[in-house]
Amino acid sequence: MSPRNAKNSPTLSPWRCMRQAVQVLALLLFLYLLLGTIQSGTTVLPHDLFFRLDPLAGISAMIASRSWLLPMSLGLITLALALALPRLWCGWLCPLGTLLDWTPGHRVLRKSGDMGRFWRYGKYFLFFAVVLTAVLGSLALMFLDPITLLFRALAGFILPGLNILITGVESWLLGVAFLEPAIVWFDGLVRGTLITAQPFWWPNISLVAFLAAVLALNAVRKRFWCRYLCPLGGMLALFSRFAFIRHHVDSEKCVSCGCCAVVCPTGAIDCQQNFKASAAECVTCLDCLDVCPTQAISFSKTATRRDTAYDPSRRRFLSLLGLAAVGAAAVRFFPMLGQRVNRALHPPGTTEERLLSECVRCGECIKVCPTGVIQPGLSSPIERLWAPVMSMRKGYCDYSCNSCGKVCPTGAISELTLERKRETVIGVARIDRHRCIPWAEGRECIVCEEMCPVPGKAIGLRGGGRGREGVQRPVVNEDLCIGCGICEYQCPVQGEAAIRVSVID
Amino acid sequence: MEETKFQNQNEKPHVGKMSSAILSRRQFIRRITSLGLGAAAIGSVLSLLSCEQSSAPGPLEPIPSSSEPLSEKASSAIASRLAVARGGDPSALVRAVLKPLGGIEQFVKPGNDVIIKPNICVAYHPPEYAATTNPEVVAALVSLSLKAGAKRVRVMDSPFGGTPEQAYDRSGIEQAVREAGGEMEIMSPIKFKMTEIPEGRDIKSWPVYADVLDADVLINVPIAKHHSLGRLTLGMKNLMGVITRRNEFHFNLGQRLADLTSLLRPELTVIDAVRILTNHGPTGGDLNDVKTLNTIIASTDIIAADSYAATLFVLTGADIPAIREGAVMGLGTMDLEKVEIEEAEI
Repeated sequence: MSPRNAKNSPTLSPWRCMRQAVQVLALLLFLYLLLGTIQSGTTVLPHDLFFRLDPLAGISAMIASRSWLLPMSLGLITLALALALPRLWCGWLCPLGTLLDWTPGHRVLRKSGDMGRFWRYGKYFLFFAVVLTAVLGSLALMFLDPITLLFRALAGFILPGLNILITGVESWLLGVAFLEPAIVWFDGLVRGTLITAQPFWWPNISLVAFLAAVLALNAVRKRFWCRYLCPLGGMLALFSRFAFIRHHVDSEKCVSCGCCAVVCPTGAIDCQQNFKASAAECVTCLDCLDVCPTQAISFSKTATRRDTAYDPSRRRFLSLLGLAAVGAAAVRFFPMLGQRVNRALHPPGTTEERLLSECVRCGECIKVCPTGVIQPGLSSPIERLWAPVMSMRKGYCDYSCNSCGKVCPTGAISELTLERKRETVIGVARIDRHRCIPWAEGRECIVCEEMCPVPGKAIGLRGGGRGREGVQRPVVNEDLCIGCGICEYQCPVQGEAAIRVSVID
Repeated sequence: MEETKFQNQNEKPHVGKMSSAILSRRQFIRRITSLGLGAAAIGSVLSLLSCEQSSAPGPLEPIPSSSEPLSEKASSAIASRLAVARGGDPSALVRAVLKPLGGIEQFVKPGNDVIIKPNICVAYHPPEYAATTNPEVVAALVSLSLKAGAKRVRVMDSPFGGTPEQAYDRSGIEQAVREAGGEMEIMSPIKFKMTEIPEGRDIKSWPVYADVLDADVLINVPIAKHHSLGRLTLGMKNLMGVITRRNEFHFNLGQRLADLTSLLRPELTVIDAVRILTNHGPTGGDLNDVKTLNTIIASTDIIAADSYAATLFVLTGADIPAIREGAVMGLGTMDLEKVEIEEAEI
């Protein structure tokens, strides 16, 4: 059997079947928990299970917030798995890894060989950078985490886009009379489950662009992201160097055909060193077991740990660490130098400072928000990139909702009772009298007053007394206003609203 | 130029065996383009068809839904009938108020598809706060309709504050309706259709929930509340729950509500004044603004019902712009002197 045929080897061993089944189930579980993250949703398992199992999210959140987060300690299980078998998470459970396995390569660009071992250090560098930035009190680099990056792209862009797409196609097809029952049935099936009423916001395409770039790198090498870049992969690789059970080649049986090196999704097998696999690079996919014509490969207990050419030496590790420290300091302190801090509105139960050190950019709050007022922040440079902000023209903070605090896996948004949340001030509404319809044009409107949910109304009225021609004009009572933003959201003025919620300093 | 070179290099080895099976890039693009053109053609034909469907009945039959339930000329010439029931529990009040009007059987015939439109405008408070229609009133109407032989009874509204799921739940209406055997429907955005309003004076068309127009019977069940712009929110204002683009609707609210009423013409309006909200409406939130009246008003004439309900707030129909405009358009009787009022005390 030549290496070329090995790629298309049709054998499906029990191991391979099992791994692929687990991968599909894990991905489905990930999607189920994602879709279950809605205001009225209850899921069988914790909705944030994948974030809890993510040790990179857990450790950096704990370091940055200087506190022990009990739910996030589930990540220890993943670390234990990495110590048992090389990067078991990457090969079997990671939903992004599964998607990467399914992403085809480019027939010209993709090669089975490696890109040079310096590339391998990328993931260690990024891992060190994430952790060291956390040591400096910032979780800014958590946007690189594979679980957050996939979740954010789905929650922030793909699902809202699907909502627009499905609603549009359905409305269009409703013009054809005989299709109506089928469409109404389908609509009832997907609305509220697959698609929610969240607004679609073009700038969020950046979330998908990042995901797409990660997938596109697969064109060059199989699992490019996992081999060279993934900070979580880098973390697990550090542990898997000491894996208890690992890839082993029986050199008496090996015929040096090279099939294993061709199928290996992470290029972990070194043809130059008797087809040994680096435990730090191996993702325990077991494809090499299948493809070996002489059954020379086994996964077994190995007493001694031997580094391969891929594994950085101690000196290399130290220099990577030093480089990452410089990067971390740049990320943490550079945005503070001589720049005006432009503060944004944040969900009730959190502050800008807390988001910096406690928010892992997972996107759970963005997904759960029933109105879509919570959006990934794009206005700031790296330090607050994709952390939640309130965008009152996209939605409003529902007076009867406290879901964001309930779903936040790290407690960056405090869980507030509904009573407390109703009193929590997000900002304050202010009226632009040059644009407000009654003030500027003398026409009736006062939608803002009607919408104001505060008992006793935080928006009062002037003029328009009984029997008079005067038009009622809104004024804000700043003592009562909680900044929920429904006034801004519903303001019928085109473009920017005539009543806007401002940040309180 | 580069692309073609590239393509040729890759194509050559295949030419012998595979050219029939594998499309070249150029062929592929050509095929896709023709598919796209085809789809566009089909699409334009379909959209033309759909346009015809919605516009065809317009000029021929001005208001198909209105001709049957309430002949407006009759209602302005002869006095409208209105019933009021006071005291007692909400479901007894519903039965008492319908009796003088001939019972629910007068409106709901066996096999009818019935839609009940309560006011569930926000998801904020339980029913004691009088921001949403009394659940027992809605449930009583559901069970009476089912008893009269309705094929199905749906209850729906589209809240502006909070999700419908939560609003249905917190208002207590979902549970009451389910127990009475009705269905709660969450209004899907795809069912709002641009609808012509032939009699409209300010608005000639607006997106309206299609099922409400298609239903055999529409029962309008508002709760009587304070409202700054409209002064009160009663039967006519409650109809705003079945349209979209609601914030624009406010620019000439009184006339636009009258225009919408001319299109929808509910077969029956039942005004819940078991508790009324006297200030800070329509959202409420303060029990000090709630007054318990244990009163229900019902009429086939929405203008008369609203005009009567205004008196509960020491106002008259003429004080409410929507009622005034509705009367001008001949949608019903605002002058209560001309309305035959049946009062029932429990």
